[in-house]
Amino acid sequence: MKHYLDLVKFSAKKHKKQDRMIRLCIVLSVFLVTVIFGMAEMEMRAQLLQAEKSDGSYHAAFLVDKKEAALLGMRPEVECISSYGSVNYSLNDGYTIEGTETCILGFDEELLSMFPAADIIEGEFPKNEMEAVLNENAKNRLRVQVGDRVRMQTPQGITRTYRIVGITKDTALMAEHDAFGMFINAESFEKLNPGDIDAHWELLYFVKFRSFCNIRRAIRDITVQFGLKESQVRENVKVLALMFQSRDSYMMQFYFVAAVLAVLVVAAGVLMIAASMNSRVAKRTEFFGMMRCLGATEKQVKRFVGKEALGWCKTGIPTGLLLGTALVWILCGMLRYFSPGLFDELPVFGVSPMGIAAGIFVGFITVFLAAKSPAKRAAEVSPLTAVSGNAGRERMKKGANTRFFKIDIALGIHHAWGSRKNLFLVSGSFAFSIILFLAFSTAIDFMHRAITPLRPWSPDIYFYTKDASNAIPKELAEELSDYSGVKYVFGRGYGKGSVKAEGQERDLTLVSYDSRQFLWGEDSLLRGSTENVEKGEGLLLVYREDSVLMDSEEVTIFTQGQGREAALCGVIGNIPYDSSTQEMALCSEKTFKNLTGEEGYAVLDFKLFSDAEDSDVEQIRQAAEKVLGKSIGFSDKRIGNREIKGASLSMAVFLYGFLGVITLIAFFNIMNCIAMSVSSRLKEYGAMRAVGMGMGQFLRMVFGEAAAYALFGSFFGLGIGIPLNRKLFLSLVTFRWGEPWEFPAWEISVILGVMLLSLILAVLGPAKQIKGMDVLELS
Amino acid sequence: MEILRVEDLCKTYGAGETRVEAVKNVSFSMSRGEFGTVVGVSGSGKSTLLHCIGGLDTADGGKVFLNGRDIFHMKENERTIFRRRNVGFIFQSFHLVQELTVEQNIIFPLLLDYRKPEKASVEEMLEVLGLENRRHHLPGQLSGGQQQRTAIGRALITKPSIVLADEPTGNLDSKSSQDVMDLLLGASKHFKQTVLMITHNMNLTTSADRVFRVADGKLEELGGGQE
Repeated sequence: MKHYLDLVKFSAKKHKKQDRMIRLCIVLSVFLVTVIFGMAEMEMRAQLLQAEKSDGSYHAAFLVDKKEAALLGMRPEVECISSYGSVNYSLNDGYTIEGTETCILGFDEELLSMFPAADIIEGEFPKNEMEAVLNENAKNRLRVQVGDRVRMQTPQGITRTYRIVGITKDTALMAEHDAFGMFINAESFEKLNPGDIDAHWELLYFVKFRSFCNIRRAIRDITVQFGLKESQVRENVKVLALMFQSRDSYMMQFYFVAAVLAVLVVAAGVLMIAASMNSRVAKRTEFFGMMRCLGATEKQVKRFVGKEALGWCKTGIPTGLLLGTALVWILCGMLRYFSPGLFDELPVFGVSPMGIAAGIFVGFITVFLAAKSPAKRAAEVSPLTAVSGNAGRERMKKGANTRFFKIDIALGIHHAWGSRKNLFLVSGSFAFSIILFLAFSTAIDFMHRAITPLRPWSPDIYFYTKDASNAIPKELAEELSDYSGVKYVFGRGYGKGSVKAEGQERDLTLVSYDSRQFLWGEDSLLRGSTENVEKGEGLLLVYREDSVLMDSEEVTIFTQGQGREAALCGVIGNIPYDSSTQEMALCSEKTFKNLTGEEGYAVLDFKLFSDAEDSDVEQIRQAAEKVLGKSIGFSDKRIGNREIKGASLSMAVFLYGFLGVITLIAFFNIMNCIAMSVSSRLKEYGAMRAVGMGMGQFLRMVFGEAAAYALFGSFFGLGIGIPLNRKLFLSLVTFRWGEPWEFPAWEISVILGVMLLSLILAVLGPAKQIKGMDVLELS
Repeated sequence: MEILRVEDLCKTYGAGETRVEAVKNVSFSMSRGEFGTVVGVSGSGKSTLLHCIGGLDTADGGKVFLNGRDIFHMKENERTIFRRRNVGFIFQSFHLVQELTVEQNIIFPLLLDYRKPEKASVEEMLEVLGLENRRHHLPGQLSGGQQQRTAIGRALITKPSIVLADEPTGNLDSKSSQDVMDLLLGASKHFKQTVLMITHNMNLTTSADRVFRVADGKLEELGGGQE
């Protein structure tokens, strides 16, 4: 030993167990903060990737002329600018290739860097005027290659011939509408200006600003300087929002919620460390008092505290950071594994600077502040008072209340109640677990409304008859269900009729369901059952607010000029198709045939296996078109579905991850707090056991203390958590969807259940430890 | 040579009905190498007096001069450094650092003063204390007498102007008490160390140069121990 600070080393060796508990607490709180902030950052990155894929990575688009665009490009905050023009985006303006509506996009090559989805997978970007890039759908259907020529008809009746120089991937929109897409360069596009034709034609300039630039201010400055109207400025709202650069009123509510949650997480971390370290304050104060008696100055005590705290941080913080980062990696890995292709750019072993910075900040600051507390207390009183141990303990004004409780429980409650600061810190850290859980659970409510997850009945591809007739034969459906890549096929027939009930006659749409669709519908059933309907013994009414059939048990349906009685066997809440315009009823295929005389389908949905390839889809399509020709339309929703799946999966992984981590931390924090409290009173317990306290009494005493903390924690946690849950729900959900807040009973029971479980385990742990020690060892 | 001078020292605790005058206008002085003992019943103010003299507690009135310097005129930090260089404390309940060995406990005040312990003087101290074989033991592995001897070594290692001992034998058996007394007397005689010791044991006052009695906060000198 060469320096007085070497004592820290010896002290750490001697107090290994207590040090381990403090370290564990630092690990837990740094882990909590790192994981939450890290996951939030990764989720933002994942969502940003998604948004950039579907909407592009540009920040704003300006409807300006060429001269203004040149000026715009010279601004220092602009990283790149590209013209972007679109015509026939709505696919009904009459720009066609081989009779198929074609959306034409004209832009500079720079724009490709802003639209990852518009990647050219074959060939190159058009350099010359009469060159074009086609989408994969057009390539496959027109059976053309790079180097071939295609002829495009304009609504003016002009035919323009383009040489194909490249192929681009289909976008979700193009695939869903089975449309052709064509890229040409900006010069070619300008020549397409329809002039007096009533087609939607516009040329925008897409801008991506430099990193770390205040995009809001840049857009505002540009708008003012160029005298632009609101309609001339288009912001990429989703991307800006994810970059915290949006001032959209809903996003402001969203940021508010994020800020509240961030503060809560930091506060929870701070409280957890402070609470655990406070349980050692009395002992530490005595120790520092002794050091001062021996002549240590305040500065030396502070240095000692600093070194000691640094020792805890040295292992506690990196461990917390590593564990937190590892969990973030696992979640990112899960995302990439479950949703390949969508999150390829999301690094599995990505490091979250925000999470790490927050973890280090919370760890260091709290440990140093909490560690200083006993040193400060020892310095405030005379060294002798400090060494006597009187400075570290709050003076008890009253003895334990044995009037209402037995001595063991009374003592336990008294231990908790005795030190108000400890009570505040420990029950505060419990309370924060509840508050965090209730606050974060609103994010789950938000998720359920913001992202409609992909349902089993969401088709990957579907055919529909263009004239809405039931011309798709059942046999075709059966045949196609055996095709490669097809998981299952289900069709629906649509029939028109009218219905009479309560003296009123209304139009009615009849929809035929097969048994699979009835099964999916069961969850949405409001009344009755699907069983009889499936057997062909009645109808299932689709719920509408102004339906006149709601209370009817039997209705008369008029189809094919005949009236037939049909039983209403139940009411279904919602169906995946629009039912808002008129009365709608579901029936079995058998009933449908009886009522309409038809047994084909108007829509045929396909659910494909995840490994189904484009060639499989093409074969299905060809087989269908062979039977039905051009009378059917085709829609490919796979890209859109993948995007929905990806967005909902990433949100679910991270949000449920948040709740899981909070629950886990609550669990360990309670266990650790109680264990630390017991460990700091080991001598007292030893004395109590020496005078005859049994193990049962000991258990009750520790449980009394733990229950007092839990009770106060729950009281404050629920007192603050429920109003906060309401406030966040109003900001996240009610503000946008108008749904009223409901009492979070389920969430409360989950977190209280976890607390109770951890309390029981927390009491059993020290009990086992005490049981294994003899009384002399304790005292 | 005067080492300690106390002038009109007063210390009061509490207020109103609970007011206790622990030390009342105490004045006395001690010279280098003198061995003084303080006797008195429990609660008479002995410990308070000792703590005020050592600067562990502040006084409400009066002055304490140690080596000619008024310790209450010093700032807290200055007083702490002065105390660690000029005052050695010995407590009834030893107050050893439980994490440190005997040798480390003894040199601890030197380390606090950023001084390098001289090997020879540490060896000498261990020998004088009879703890050569216990130098690597932790306090928990020692008897009460050995712990108190370690505490004495810790108090003497800085060669302070005065050693203040608050009932150093209070927790010890008669044999260990005698050992401790012999050590303190030996230090007083051979190193000209001034010692002021509180004790309940009148037998221990017989070897003292001066004996003081504190009653109700007032100090009176009873004379030399032999008397």
